[in-house]
Amino acid sequence: MQQAGTGQHTHCPYCALQCAMTVTAGTHDGGASVDARDFPTNRGGLCRKGWSAAELLAHPDRLTAPLLRDADGVLREAPWDTVLQLIGDRVRDIQARHGRDAVAVFGGGGLTNEKAYTLGKFARLALRTSRIDYNGRFCMSSAAAAGNRAFGVDRGLPFPLEDLGAASVVLLLGSNAADTMPPFVQHLRGAQAAGGLVVVDPRRSATARLTDQGRGVHLQPTPGTDLVLLLGLAHVVVAEGLEDRRFLEARASGYDDVTRGLARWWPERVQGITGVPAASLRAVARLLAAGARRGAEGGHGAYILTGRGIEQHADGTDTTTAAVNLALLLGLPGTAHSGYGTLTGQGNGQGGREHGQKADQLPGYRKITDPAARAHVAGVWGVPEEAIPGPGLPAVELLASLGKPGGTHCLFVHGANVAVSAPDAATVVDGLRSLDLLVVSDFFLSETAALADVVLPVLQWAEEEGTVTNLEGRVLRRRPAVGPPPGARSELWIMQELARLLEAPSLFSEDPSTMFDELARASAGGLADYSGLDYGVLDGADPAYWPYPAGSTGTPRLFLGAFAHPGGRAVLVPVSPRAGTAAARTPAPLLLATGRLLEHYQSGTQTRRVPALLAAQPAARLQLHPSTAHDLGIAQGDPVVVTSAQGEARALADLTPDIRQDTVFLAFHFADAGSANRLTGSATDPVSGMPEFKTTPVGVTRLDSADPLHAARLEVVA
Amino acid sequence: MNPSEPLVPSRVVVVGFGPVAARLVEHLEPLVAAGRVALTVLGQEPDAAYNRVLVADVAVGRTSEAAIGLADTDTLRATGIDVRLGARVDRIDRPFRRVLLTDGEAVDYDRLVLATGSRPVRPRLTGLEGPAGSDDAHLLPPGVSFLRDLSDARTVAAALAAQQRIVVLGGGILGIEAALAAAEEGGRVTLVHHGRSPMERLLGDGARVLATALRQAGITVVAGTSTGIELEHGHFAGVRLEGGVRVDGGALVLACGVRPRTELAEGCDLAVADGILVDHTLRAVGMEDIWAIGDCAEVCCLRSSCRACAGATAPQGLIGPGWQQADDVGAAFVADLSGDGGVPLTGFRSAPDPGPGVRRDPVVVLKARGVDAVVAGETDADPWTVEPGLAVAEWADPGHGRYAKMVTRDGVLTGLVCVGMPRTGAELILLFERGSELPADRSSLLRLDSAEGLLTASPPGPAATLCRCAGVTRGTVQDSVAAGCTSVQDVSAVTRAGTGCGGCHDGIRAVIEQHFAAAVAS
Repeated sequence: MQQAGTGQHTHCPYCALQCAMTVTAGTHDGGASVDARDFPTNRGGLCRKGWSAAELLAHPDRLTAPLLRDADGVLREAPWDTVLQLIGDRVRDIQARHGRDAVAVFGGGGLTNEKAYTLGKFARLALRTSRIDYNGRFCMSSAAAAGNRAFGVDRGLPFPLEDLGAASVVLLLGSNAADTMPPFVQHLRGAQAAGGLVVVDPRRSATARLTDQGRGVHLQPTPGTDLVLLLGLAHVVVAEGLEDRRFLEARASGYDDVTRGLARWWPERVQGITGVPAASLRAVARLLAAGARRGAEGGHGAYILTGRGIEQHADGTDTTTAAVNLALLLGLPGTAHSGYGTLTGQGNGQGGREHGQKADQLPGYRKITDPAARAHVAGVWGVPEEAIPGPGLPAVELLASLGKPGGTHCLFVHGANVAVSAPDAATVVDGLRSLDLLVVSDFFLSETAALADVVLPVLQWAEEEGTVTNLEGRVLRRRPAVGPPPGARSELWIMQELARLLEAPSLFSEDPSTMFDELARASAGGLADYSGLDYGVLDGADPAYWPYPAGSTGTPRLFLGAFAHPGGRAVLVPVSPRAGTAAARTPAPLLLATGRLLEHYQSGTQTRRVPALLAAQPAARLQLHPSTAHDLGIAQGDPVVVTSAQGEARALADLTPDIRQDTVFLAFHFADAGSANRLTGSATDPVSGMPEFKTTPVGVTRLDSADPLHAARLEVVA
Repeated sequence: MNPSEPLVPSRVVVVGFGPVAARLVEHLEPLVAAGRVALTVLGQEPDAAYNRVLVADVAVGRTSEAAIGLADTDTLRATGIDVRLGARVDRIDRPFRRVLLTDGEAVDYDRLVLATGSRPVRPRLTGLEGPAGSDDAHLLPPGVSFLRDLSDARTVAAALAAQQRIVVLGGGILGIEAALAAAEEGGRVTLVHHGRSPMERLLGDGARVLATALRQAGITVVAGTSTGIELEHGHFAGVRLEGGVRVDGGALVLACGVRPRTELAEGCDLAVADGILVDHTLRAVGMEDIWAIGDCAEVCCLRSSCRACAGATAPQGLIGPGWQQADDVGAAFVADLSGDGGVPLTGFRSAPDPGPGVRRDPVVVLKARGVDAVVAGETDADPWTVEPGLAVAEWADPGHGRYAKMVTRDGVLTGLVCVGMPRTGAELILLFERGSELPADRSSLLRLDSAEGLLTASPPGPAATLCRCAGVTRGTVQDSVAAGCTSVQDVSAVTRAGTGCGGCHDGIRAVIEQHFAAAVAS
């Protein structure tokens, strides 16, 4: 614990940029404060979410005792030993009646590595269930699947973020980093100065505006056509002979299969599907190729970066693969001055996907179906291999199984607010309500916690010890700066106690350092190998990028020598669009893309409780084009109803010419009537299980002011 | 199928190996691999399927023959597909279900798919007469070629390399694309066309804007009716026009349209109009075992009540509809022959199925580097026509090379012309393909190509956000400067403006400078 007045070096609680900050405990009753700290990723910058993060530590809404739903259906405070005993008893009872897999766990990409690792182990050894998955399925799963099949391993940025600064060309596909991780855009200055920043987004977002005034190009395709757009760019590269033949011959396979498919996607055809002019496609392809050539000669190279905009689709894996293919054709990945990467979203979205809270994975990014992987992890855990269950259900399927016969009867939720963040949220809420037992660990009464039978109050970022892995695969230390409120407990302690009650084998310790050391051993030899790391190393001066096998000094740049597939080659996988996408429906509906605002984070559980952030973005606002709005009889600020096949949501109209006329945008940070995920469907990517968040056909109407319920509805919206 | 029976593969023969046939073959590959189909592909050209749309790009050296390939013969053969290149079919023997080749071989079929495509039209010109019915390029005089296949592309490439003036005969889309491609790559080009302007029938007034653009691209555009070609030393030397004018050149490219290749179908008594008549399942009319797809086919369902076929026409040399037909037939074959209800490949159906009676008119997008022209659907409607549901909007700015026309029925875009406005053109094609309604404010589409795009000027007042990352207004920054901050660092320390991405530092500096400039002035 720090003395009041001296700051503790830690990192921001929010996104994967993990800006360095110094948190200083308050004196007397004064709250803790945050200061930005110079660091290669944020270079001393913080966004207003980070600046205001400390306001949540002593927030009046903090949960300070476990809550138990009583006979009247009301959540009331209860002692820890009572609720833990009750959870243990109920789990035993439910599993006796419905089988072990009737109990499931839903984790989060914001959990520290220690918590994510222990949660996976807790599910498999203490709850003895196969059913664990996490909200990263809604974030990084498509990029992870595409990265794994192309390169053999998925590390968001396989190079230090600083490398971007030297680039002359950066292609940003479906990322609004200027809003979602503002300090990141400092690394785009080189590309901007060279006129080489290319942003692909159906909205003229804050990031797209960084291309203004000759600093680059904004392409504005209609939603759901990113794959075709990328095929068109790759077509130009191959047709004009701009590919890096030497790279392809030496370091990649699958070239012929991919290029034969590309002959079909010439720019004038692509233009009619995407709305992006053929000339723009050619110009961007040439810009990329010029940057690639400079990079290959040791100069200012080219980078292709993907974000949720192209990944969160029912064809997200293929779309991301098309971006990877483009990068491979240009010879970017695995080189010193160019590259491909995906911008991870959640705070520990990288580490969270490596250490065993995915349905199909064991620690170290190992496959749970791989006998060698199972044997290794079983050895570290000191259990027979058959004690580790097989693969479980990916998130959307897991949530669909809630309360269903043969499905999930008990759910533990950690670091997630599925009632707001999951697609088809209204159905998910019904599923949560139908459970025999819902246990939610959170520090606020989130919308999901409000539905729970048991709510366990846990620690916030500035109160806990641990590690996170940022968007570039760098492992960072999180350190406690302030004491937790009395009554709150760490999730490691909770799992330790429950494991004891459930008579679980192996080690469950409340000490983060102990669990990290075990994580390091469990990851040894895996793709994400942390075995050379401990808190001592991480507290040292040198950066630690995984893989960091014992005896090494880590890997700032992956793939420089070889890719992770056997034989060391990257693989180009042919992809082409599937029929029946929402974008191809006729007559064409308005297409809803969900997304994020600068002022809020994820489901808003935290940021909606910061007064300044809530004041800036108090309610759901639907962005739509003025001519679209005019034809719908909607004026600026009007309350509107958005309907889809899944349900309806309410919002206030926000007219802007920055959005395409066929597209509307709704941030998903809001709950209840304003919840964007009441509109999204349950269609998922066949490879990654990623839901379709960005292309939902919707109708929009103005709330009729003559409607007697008008006033009441307005209150709901505002 | 009873699993105990030995599997007898169904014999499928595809005549033709162009882009449409290649797409069908992709669908059938898994059936071949599974032993359910024995597939023979008979291609007349010496090359495996390639994207014909890009032949002009090969001719002018913009791309390579390898880059436009759509199929790899070795890979297909390794799958077990009998691919024969340079194979000439003599006739189809329907009673015995076999295809007879000119070399005397016969190939039996259970299912026959004709994908014979189309051939370029040989105009009736003095000096171009050839044996009746023979349109083969190798029978053209030296210096004269079509621009249809790779051998044509090589001929034109040689002429360009020899720095000969290229005369392109034909003011349609193919002629314009060939002329522009050659001119944009530095060739000397003359385009000879009928009527007032190239593409006048499709583009209307937009054609005049296009003609100006063609001249600006360095093309000599000549209106006139050609009557013959003239040879010198047995080699093309010029085109003679009505009235006696001669247009000189070292090479002539004939771009006078294409016609479906139907002679095999006619030879075995299939119903043929312009193309081989097929019903909505793409079966040749009245046939159970013969299909036709792509350019050679003409959809003409005999059932007048058939919704699927109403208003449908032949693809007319456009590849998208041909690929859709290949997808449809491929899906049907997979469903019939896989035995396990296998999942067919799917295509990208960008064009909607129109309702009954709706014209399915072609979408034409000019493929060129410096000139943008797109046209689709009904384009001849007049803005002043009074007709229920019809609305026509037109924008003409010939001085700046811009023209746009949008035809809507009940608000739905049914026709468009757009020249010199790339984003508007791309957007209109997209809206047309989807059958979308246009916004009542049609001009909002024109503004997609405005110089500033759709920039909104943010209000410059004190309430405007100056630093987005920290959410700080200009007014707050002004107040901090008035209170004594003299540097970005000072302002950041007091207001947090500039502490995120740093993109507003120039804006903060400007506020400081304004403050002190005002102080000096006062």
